[in-house]
Amino acid sequence: MNFDWIALAEFSLIGLLSGGLLALIALGFVLIYKGTGVINFAMGEFMMLGAYFFYTANVMWQLPTVLALGLTLAAVAMAAALIERAILRPLSGQPVIAILMATIGLASALHGAVDAVWGGNNYEMPQLLPRKPFTLGEILIPGQVVWSFALAAVIITAFTLYFRYSSTGIAMRAAANDPVTAYVLGIDVRRTQRLTWMFAGIVGAVAGIVVASITSLSPALGGAALGVLAVIILGGLDSIAGAIVAGLIVGLIESLTAGYLSGKVRDIVPYVTVLLILMIRPYGLFGTRQIERL
Amino acid sequence: MTQSAPDATRRRILGAGLGAVGLSAGFALIPAIAQSGEIVFGAAPPITGVFAFAGLALHQGLGDYCEWRNTKGGIAGRKIRYIGEDSGYKMDQAMSVFKKIMGAHKPPVFYGDSTAWAKAAAKEISQMGSVLTCSPSFSSDLADPKNVPYYFMAGPTYAAMCEMLLEYIDRTSKGANKPAVAIVYSDTEFGRDPIPATKVKAQALGIPIVQEIVTKPGSVDVSAEVAKLRRAKPDYVIFHGYVLAPIPEFIKQMREAGMSTTPMGTIWSMDKTTVDAMGAAAEGWMGVLPYRYSYDTKDAPTMQLIKAYTAKARPQMQYVPTFYTNGWLVGMIFSEVIERCLKAGKALTGPNMKAALESIDNWDTGGVTGLLVSLKGHQIASGRIYMYDAKTKLLEPASGWIRTA
Amino acid sequence: MRIGDFRQSYEHDEAIWQTPTSRAWLAVFFVFLSVFPFAANAYIVGLACVLGIHVISSAGLNIMTGYTGLISLGHAAFMGVGCYTAAFLAQRGVPFFLTIPLAGLMAALLGLVVGIPSLRIKGLYLAVATLAMQFILVFIFREWEPVTGGVRGVNVPAASLFGLDLNNDTRMYYLVAFCATVLLVAARNLFRTRIGRAFIAIRDKDISAEVLGIDLFRYKLLAFAIGSFYAGVAGALLGYFYRAMTPEYFTLALSIFYLAAIIIGGLGTMLGTVLGAVFMTLVPELLRSTVSLIAQWAPRATEILSPMQEVVFGLLIIGFLVFEPHGLVEIWRRVRRTFHLWPFRA
Repeated sequence: MNFDWIALAEFSLIGLLSGGLLALIALGFVLIYKGTGVINFAMGEFMMLGAYFFYTANVMWQLPTVLALGLTLAAVAMAAALIERAILRPLSGQPVIAILMATIGLASALHGAVDAVWGGNNYEMPQLLPRKPFTLGEILIPGQVVWSFALAAVIITAFTLYFRYSSTGIAMRAAANDPVTAYVLGIDVRRTQRLTWMFAGIVGAVAGIVVASITSLSPALGGAALGVLAVIILGGLDSIAGAIVAGLIVGLIESLTAGYLSGKVRDIVPYVTVLLILMIRPYGLFGTRQIERL
Repeated sequence: MTQSAPDATRRRILGAGLGAVGLSAGFALIPAIAQSGEIVFGAAPPITGVFAFAGLALHQGLGDYCEWRNTKGGIAGRKIRYIGEDSGYKMDQAMSVFKKIMGAHKPPVFYGDSTAWAKAAAKEISQMGSVLTCSPSFSSDLADPKNVPYYFMAGPTYAAMCEMLLEYIDRTSKGANKPAVAIVYSDTEFGRDPIPATKVKAQALGIPIVQEIVTKPGSVDVSAEVAKLRRAKPDYVIFHGYVLAPIPEFIKQMREAGMSTTPMGTIWSMDKTTVDAMGAAAEGWMGVLPYRYSYDTKDAPTMQLIKAYTAKARPQMQYVPTFYTNGWLVGMIFSEVIERCLKAGKALTGPNMKAALESIDNWDTGGVTGLLVSLKGHQIASGRIYMYDAKTKLLEPASGWIRTA
Repeated sequence: MRIGDFRQSYEHDEAIWQTPTSRAWLAVFFVFLSVFPFAANAYIVGLACVLGIHVISSAGLNIMTGYTGLISLGHAAFMGVGCYTAAFLAQRGVPFFLTIPLAGLMAALLGLVVGIPSLRIKGLYLAVATLAMQFILVFIFREWEPVTGGVRGVNVPAASLFGLDLNNDTRMYYLVAFCATVLLVAARNLFRTRIGRAFIAIRDKDISAEVLGIDLFRYKLLAFAIGSFYAGVAGALLGYFYRAMTPEYFTLALSIFYLAAIIIGGLGTMLGTVLGAVFMTLVPELLRSTVSLIAQWAPRATEILSPMQEVVFGLLIIGFLVFEPHGLVEIWRRVRRTFHLWPFRA
């Protein structure tokens, strides 16, 4: 029997393209890690919050999509700023593990709150991205996979440019790199940290809206981000480039596993890969190697 | 030791918080005392967690049945008291609720939340021999009066449901070649349970299973799976082990890829709210449900009663989900068993209730199930195939009531 | 009033229970532990068993994370290893007093394997590496059907001592209480030895520890092995307690549960372990009981308030971290000091 090269091409393309969304979620994690040194376990809940806000504005209140989107992003950014002020700032200086735990507590509280306000029902999100499939000979790629990739690419590029060229972006990078020095040089570190959380909230909200519109909206969405942990570790916790590359790799691996092995191992294979790569490169593919001194 | 002022305030707040929790705790640990003569129905429905929407409706259905029954004088003149605590769809929490309610009230009947709970509690229940149990699980392992004597299910097993679907496919197929079937199931106990039996049945009917896909339940990307499915070219796809996601996305992508496959589901993915959430993808959706839908009230006095009762007691509830119907039906069976015991002058012990349960034969549920019910095998072995009608936006019967083996 | 105790020897300084008063309270506490099942109902005794198991497992994680600084997100999977080992052996007629330590050893062995990367991988990267192990082990539990029973789970025969089946919660309670006491005392004593002190040195700064002649590789592995041993024992007890187990129990959520327990209780203290496990076990129970109490007067309360439990629970965790970052153990110490110094202010 001949090997079906077309199938391989299709699985690979689907995998690489759906990796874009993984990279976007990973960006949310990386932003917060770079800015505050913490893995934010409530990332999935930010996504959930964004999706629910958007659903409320767009479907329940019947606002036009663009307005609803704007309102949602503003609301999530505000919520993120509030969380930063009320929880993260009092905890600054505490061990990493305590802050990690606080984000887990936050995840629990947000999850419960969404359950209490919107209930456990499934909602159908409005369709945002065109779904018309793309065909390339016998290869068929679902439309939303392509468009979500494009959207993720645009957002990631925008953030990269922002950090590179805008003065606030440079200030944020400086504060992330060395908060004390940045503070001495007159950068308002508190403000940059607040901005970091707001940006991460916005990225999460966008990712949440896209994921919910592809699947469906329910509190189970909160768990979607945990699958991305493999991506951020693979790429290196503090590297945006790493998040992109690792997102594509993990997307590819997941798609090929689902295509040729079985859904049973789909979750495991990325983690096995991560484990192997960590043995060789303990800070992920692109993570900053920390040099320890006594 | 010196303390800064804000620290002291913080600690006072924390102290007050702790005190409040402690105080409420003190009260909460005092068990509610049931009045003598009351019959307690215990339950651990999954009001929060992944099955929240189903669990809430189950809880409401069972609770409302008890309320309604009390307005009719209860069971043989004794009032029912329904005590349900959230299980969170976690086995240990469900066990803890079970132990707590058993310890405080010794209820004769208990409604659990999952297969995991039913299995973990089975030994203790056999040992106690004082409680008859049920849960939303239709796992084949539990329809076993010998090994799990005090458990019954208010419907057929998952395996029986899948077999019903295969028989329907077989019956309606025309032409020389049998239609090709693919199965898609979640990688959970719930999902995997009926798969071996389904394969055996398909082989017996000569239906080829052309593809078998396992996924995680919930919001996952299924593009690669659909690509795989497309190559298998099935005529039917049976989805099992999901409530909703990722079924709609599967169907949408299958349609967009130009597949004309008929998608099918089993009991927990057949509720109307679930189908509503599929949107346009619901077109052509079929599946098996052992009950009537709540809008299907013709010649079904119980369905009329549920409609009237919820209209009065829950005006904000626009549609009564099938989970509610399931809760109500379980309440009916619990009450019937207890009533039979009490009328015969027997104590409410496990063996007596088991005998009463098994004595239920040709029992009329008032139209919740289409056929008369026999609980001899600790399950209601009947159901009906429904199909989504895009015009009425309702699920309409596609077959008569089918009794399974 | 007492302002302190005067220590005259190194032995005294190193003693765990330093004063006659504390030793007296300890005696009272043990009497309470042993008569408690006769005074409480089945629910409370069952809860005490679960609590005991959580205490053992948290102690293991605290040895790894709190004392040695190795964050693990895979603790639940090691409990699973213990549970399945015990089930496998018990089904073949091995008595429980052998299966429980063997379950611990099996988990410890696996802990050694998982610990190998810990020399190179640190901090959050290590946390996620252990997370990978969590997923891989649970995958094995689900797939290795001949041994683990797959997704359908395993049955564990009741433990039996001299023909007496430990098939109810009261009997299990004594087994759990015994194991918990032995393991907690062992853990406390561990930190009076060279090994324990080496762990603490590694936590504080592993490179300094190495310079001081501590073999990092050996001690980190040892910490993993000991922590996993505790998890394995806890898992075996869990199996005997529920007598049936499915892989869906040993989730990431359970691993996070233990991490929460030791952080809220107090990292690097055994008393904190106990307090944290008590908090994490009892608070959700109390919240649910409160909801159920309200439901007596307002039957619809269960529907509305059940999701709020999660909110309150999350806020309590955050509250403790923000207001008392050193954990419950710090509150305990402050209360104790207040009593010691009364009528003067601490």
